[in-house]
Amino acid sequence: MAQPVLEWQAGTVTAIRPETRQTKSFTLALPKWMAHRAGMHYDVRLTAPDGYQTERSYSIASAPERVGLIELTVERIADGEVSPYLHDVVVTGDQIEVRGPIGGYFVWEVRLGGPLLLIGGGSGVVPLMAMLRHRAAEHATIPARLLYSSRTQDDVIYRDELDAMAAGDKGFEALFTFTRQAPPGWTGYQRRIDGEMLHEVIKPFGEQARVYVCGPTLLVESVANALAQMGLPIERIRTERFGPTGV
Amino acid sequence: MNMDDADMNTALMVDGNAVAGKLMDVFGRDMTMAVARCAACAREAAMGALMAFIRAPGIVLRCPTCEAAIARIVETPTALYIEARGATFLRLPRE
Repeated sequence: MAQPVLEWQAGTVTAIRPETRQTKSFTLALPKWMAHRAGMHYDVRLTAPDGYQTERSYSIASAPERVGLIELTVERIADGEVSPYLHDVVVTGDQIEVRGPIGGYFVWEVRLGGPLLLIGGGSGVVPLMAMLRHRAAEHATIPARLLYSSRTQDDVIYRDELDAMAAGDKGFEALFTFTRQAPPGWTGYQRRIDGEMLHEVIKPFGEQARVYVCGPTLLVESVANALAQMGLPIERIRTERFGPTGV
Repeated sequence: MNMDDADMNTALMVDGNAVAGKLMDVFGRDMTMAVARCAACAREAAMGALMAFIRAPGIVLRCPTCEAAIARIVETPTALYIEARGATFLRLPRE
């Protein structure tokens, strides 16, 4: 019954891709890679010369079908201990101590079925992207919608990939809302996610929807409360709260 | 941003997923799908769904329904303390 305790291992950074001004994706090659379930995370540990250690959890952005590698998309938190180091210091070829994959609650895989409604705020889209990449890698036809809240167009992570995914897949639709400034000519949502918006987005799926909500805590709280008020069965809603980052 | 204390506490809250690695250290397995029954209100919740307060010297896990403290985890240089009297039981699914 017990699974082996995960060990720390040194992953090698094989690629760093800027996603937005505040986010970068780090690809790590892992000597002891294990297939994850989309939605899981890795812990990253930094050790200072004096022995001081600090850890943070980062969601896996890549699909489990990418064998041997994981991609972590990390938002730079200005007063953070780990993310500024990853953003400002780490270069390709460096080694980073990680352990994972971790978590079993906020996960989705094709065999769980759908329809799948993914709701993300800011970097909360990262584990949802792993779910979408997994769905695409498996050529699943399970209907899926993503509702993604960002401050501005420039803050949207994976925009090109999401647009390409939606263009080539009748079963998937990406819906964006902008909370600070919408791009010129934008006719879509431009406010924080609210009950009316959720009602519209969930409509094609009804109560059958499997809903995953990830983002800053206040966003997740308000979305989860609105979904509960709509009468969605609580066992079909999974949430993951990132903490205080405001969107 | 103006926030009163209650709002700030809510904003700083994460959930049991965020301490999954720490729980794995303690229990030797993934605990996010383990169910805790709250001793205060008797509701059950997956540990991944508990409210987690981690910006402190220790970790406090609270019931998502009634907000009672289910467990506290504190690490010192020589020991790890787990106090879980807020849980009637933990139910670990066989894997």
